[in-house]
Amino acid sequence: MSLVSLHNLAFAYDTQPVLEHVSLEVNEHDFLAIIGPNGGGKSTLLKLMLGLLKPTQGSITLLGTTPSAARHDVGYVPQNTNVNTDFPVKVLDVVLMGNGAEHHPLFGYGIEEKACAMEALQQVGMEDFAARRIGDLSGGQRQRVMIARALCRRPKLLILDEPTASIDATGQKEIYDLLKRLNDAITVIVVSHDLSVILGYANKAAYVNRTLTFHDISDKSHIFHTHGQTDDHLCEIDILEMLGGESCDVCNNCDDKGGAA
Amino acid sequence: MIDALSFTFVQHAILAGILVSLAAGIIGSLIVVNRMVFLAGGIAHTSYGGIGLAVFFGLPIFLGASLFAVAAAILVAWLTLHQRERIDTFIGLIWAVGMAIGVILVDLTPGYNVDLMSYLFGSILAVETGDLMFMGVLLAFIVGIVTLKYRDILAVSYDPEYALLRGINVPLIYTTILILSALTVVVAIKVVGLILVIALLTIPVYIAERLSGSLAGMMMISGGLATLFTLGGLVFSYLYNLTSGASIILVSAAFLGVFLVVWKR
Repeated sequence: MSLVSLHNLAFAYDTQPVLEHVSLEVNEHDFLAIIGPNGGGKSTLLKLMLGLLKPTQGSITLLGTTPSAARHDVGYVPQNTNVNTDFPVKVLDVVLMGNGAEHHPLFGYGIEEKACAMEALQQVGMEDFAARRIGDLSGGQRQRVMIARALCRRPKLLILDEPTASIDATGQKEIYDLLKRLNDAITVIVVSHDLSVILGYANKAAYVNRTLTFHDISDKSHIFHTHGQTDDHLCEIDILEMLGGESCDVCNNCDDKGGAA
Repeated sequence: MIDALSFTFVQHAILAGILVSLAAGIIGSLIVVNRMVFLAGGIAHTSYGGIGLAVFFGLPIFLGASLFAVAAAILVAWLTLHQRERIDTFIGLIWAVGMAIGVILVDLTPGYNVDLMSYLFGSILAVETGDLMFMGVLLAFIVGIVTLKYRDILAVSYDPEYALLRGINVPLIYTTILILSALTVVVAIKVVGLILVIALLTIPVYIAERLSGSLAGMMMISGGLATLFTLGGLVFSYLYNLTSGASIILVSAAFLGVFLVVWKR
């Protein structure tokens, strides 16, 4: 079943085109990595999927409906979670913010909302930290709390913007292992500079630089052997170029309109 | 000292100090966590335009100042939501233009020699019964809104983009915080004056931020500290015959200094 469907999408800030001819299908239980250079339009693409921006052309279907209508079934983890660390707020209260604005009790949170938030904290292994102040956590722990906040509504789709940007290597692996575990039940879309996510976790990759090039990478051995990479060392730049390349003959499912502009 | 308590104006001063301090603790917390201190400063100063307006048209001072400050708050909210990158320039403009309007309107008022100093630095010893009622109603209003909208206010203050995604009306909450700030500034003018109000809104909050684990706790501790500082400042100004508004601020600042030295986290 197709969970996300972008068809011939274009977006421009004023007259500056940011995205053009973007088409993409994401199926249930996919783990899609979105990669590409800074300023290439990755974050814009996420904002379009979240309904924070409206496309200038083309259509977006999320969970069979529009992005704004699907919002309640989509969990989102924003890029920078190290802001506002002085804010006096407990971990559980941050997770509770994942609940929506509609039909809530006159004051505070309902019993069900609290139970759901605790369950989300358990899913990310942070239940022992529920009463701690958010600023007292490490970057990796805080990122897991943000994932719990996104899980608070039991979403069908989880979208993360550079979830490991400010975390050390151990923390990064923990985050990706967690996402892999969640991926059993939830479709995951992650924007990342980090290639280990593509090689170790994702089954689909999309290279975004104004246009989008799509790759099915569920069988990783395909990526390398036809590109003459004989030694064990793989330069990250090589892989990025490979995934962004126009005539990439390894992809099973290249978008016709894709390729570098 | 004790016999001073039998005077009505002293009783009024104490009551006004408590009411305004509690409002300042709640609203100051929201101003600090939303990084709106400069915005609140602009609204405080521009409200002098409302004082000039009230003097010129013969309206009650609180009414004129409230209308002007609320209008400024709505303008600031609109600018923040639509012209975010130039907001500091606009606040600077609003800050000075409001004061200039006030000065000119007072100039134009025939035969009236307004005591500018009492608005700039407060006149807590001249609080009347009507003022107290206005302060009481405002405090009840603030407590009511913050209680009913607490989870939305918390979500918007902590992470506005995420709050928007969860369907919370972020511009409405943001504008509400600014309007409540404007009204709090107006009542605080009586106690510490419009120039010093920003200290009453920030010093107790800065201390409370370190002592509390939640926004609600921060509001309560701030309110308590602000009350302590205001009453302490009043005693100080009574004992040494000094200006009350400035005494309140210096008592707060002295306490903050001690706190920063003693408190290690």
